This record gives sequence, C-alpha cells and structure tokens, in this order.
Amino acid sequence: MDPRVAVVGKRLARVRRVAGFCSAKGGVGKTMCTSVAAAALAAGGSRVGILDLDLQGASTHLFLGVSPRLPGEKEGILPLPVAENLSLMSVAVFTGERAMALRGSEVSDAIRELLAVTQWGELDYLLVDMPPGIGEEVLDLARLIPRMESIVVSTPSSVSIAVVERLLAVLSEMDVRVPGVIANMTRGNAGGVRELARRRGVPFAGEVPYEEGVEKAAGAPSRLAATGAAQALLRALAVMRYL
Amino acid sequence: MLCAMHEWALADAVIESTSAALGGRDPSCLRTVRVLVGELQAIDREIFDFALRTLLAERPFREAVYEVETEPAAFHCEKCAGEWVLSETASLTAETREAIHFLPEAAHAFVRCPRCGSPDYRVVRGRGVSIASIDLRDSAECR
Repeated sequence: MDPRVAVVGKRLARVRRVAGFCSAKGGVGKTMCTSVAAAALAAGGSRVGILDLDLQGASTHLFLGVSPRLPGEKEGILPLPVAENLSLMSVAVFTGERAMALRGSEVSDAIRELLAVTQWGELDYLLVDMPPGIGEEVLDLARLIPRMESIVVSTPSSVSIAVVERLLAVLSEMDVRVPGVIANMTRGNAGGVRELARRRGVPFAGEVPYEEGVEKAAGAPSRLAATGAAQALLRALAVMRYL
Repeated sequence: MLCAMHEWALADAVIESTSAALGGRDPSCLRTVRVLVGELQAIDREIFDFALRTLLAERPFREAVYEVETEPAAFHCEKCAGEWVLSETASLTAETREAIHFLPEAAHAFVRCPRCGSPDYRVVRGRGVSIASIDLRDSAECR
C-alpha cells in the first residue's frame, strides 16, 4: 500500500485553488504561461506556489531565475522562495540541470512523493506546470487532486489545435474541469483556438500575443510581471474567474 | 529540531493511511502495521520511529503495533539486464545522498548502471516508505 496517497489532500488543505497549465502539445508555452501568470498574481498580492511537474524538462526555475538548491525542512520539505508571495517546487531542486531518465511508474512515484512531502502552507493559488502529453502527470493529478482544474494552452497552429483537442476530449471523459483555453503566441490569429473552445464546449479565456520581451524578462519575476503577456494572462484568469 | 525533519511527513502519511484503511471499524481492530522503509531513501530511522510514535499517540488506534523494517535497494538495468544493489553504485556525495533522501527518483540524475553505464534502469525494490501489510482483527474480536 502506498501511504503517500492518503496525505495529498491534507498537504493542499490550505491552498484555495489548484490549476494545471496543460497541453498535449509541447512547445506551446505552458511554462511561460505558468511562470508569468504566477509572477503577475504574486505581484498583485496573491500567495502563489508553482509546482513544476515537467520532470524530464523542468524549466520554471530558469524562467523565474531560481538557482536550484536543496529545500528546507519543516515536517516535510519547503518550496523554494522565489519572490514575495511566490514559491516553487521542482525536481530541479534535487537534480539541478542534470537529466533524469524516468519510466512511467517512477514518474508516478516522483509525483506522489512531491505531493506527499511538500508543505505549501497557505496559498491562494497553486499553479502546476504540466509536461506535454496525456501521461502519468495528467492521469495521476486528476486522481490525486480531484479538485484540480486544467487551464489548457494552445498556439494558433493547426497541429497544436488538433493535438489539444484530443486532450480536451480526455479531460472531459475524466470529469476534469477546464476553466478555459488560452491561445498563446498569437499574431492576430486566435480564431482557431476560439473555435476549438466553442467546439469542445469550454470557455475561451483569451489570447496571449507573441512578445519577444518575455524571453528578455526571463530570470526576474518582477520583470515577467511587467510584460504584456502578464496583463494578457491576468485578463484570461479573470475570464476564468480566478480573480 | 527533530520535528522539523521531512521524515515527519512520511510518518504522517503512514498514520493517515492506516486510519483510512481502518475506516469506520473500532480502533481496537487494528493489530499490526508492517512498514517498509527503502534503503535508497535513507530516512533517519530514529526520527521516523519517533514521529510514528508521537503521531500514533494522538490516534484512537494508539495501541496498534508498527513494525518497521528496512528494505534493501535493488536496481535493474533495462539496457544490459544487469541487477545491482546500492552498495555497488559509485560513491555519492553527501549533497547527492540528501537529494535522493528527499526524492528517491533523483537517483536517476546521479546513479548509472555499474556494468554498462546506462541511465535506463529501474529501482525494483527498496525505494522509499510503503506499507507491506495491515493486520486487522475480525470485528467479533474487537472491543
């Protein structure tokens, strides 16, 4: 018997909302959306945690300018402080920039361990940066955190839309709530993603136009919070009733 | 501070899991819980045992016996099919051991198959904390 499952809810008991930034397609900007949204929410006074569950491609720490280091302990492990109101837990905390080759069951083990031993404390939002695909991370979190919502991200690319549509179908079958679909990296061409949301019967939360400045702001949460992407994401979060 | 250590979170998981398994039954139905602690995670047994005792004392099933055993770690290489034990891995720094202590899967960033050097292997046993068995009395035997 796996004892860790019994305490996942307890560890998140003081977290008001849990949302995963998901997409079945890689490279659509999940990490950017998670990091920038978290930085913007924290800058506005909300208490925000980020859980980077992209175990093989952890990168939120790079986006946020966090140097990996082992966590502190207090009846569990403590997320790394990133900025005022903002904290992070990531596999990079333990592995640094080393690659970690993991097979399926061990991915599940790592997820369960992080959920069972991380003491988040009181948060308004826990944002989860999900890896691409519909694998262990999506399936485990849907089961272990039934109240978790999936904010779905797609670029306007027809390939991205086609792959994301499959994810939306699976999330619907699993009764995972989707508060909205975000069109990311748009250049005035969000129509396809808007149509995808309409077709799948989920809200279209808005678009985040492509912005070179985001890459330049990477490494500093205060700069990320000042980008146009941050404002666009806050508008999307408002549409999804997160604000 | 002993109570600051992360072993408490794992002991808490064992106690909560036991409580869930007991369900609505009389607490005296719970007889023995057999807990395995994986060698790879290298938890501090003194702290873990103390945490278990302390957390158990607060529960109605406080008379239950918790038997804690260390399970030796073993690995299986998917490339060369070799199997090895923890003592056969290359020596690890204290910081690496600490990282693996917090998250056993972190081993995959540092440990390689000692025979072929592959990063593609599985931890087949002795990973972390698990419950091997929960022994419950028949309802008629409970108080």
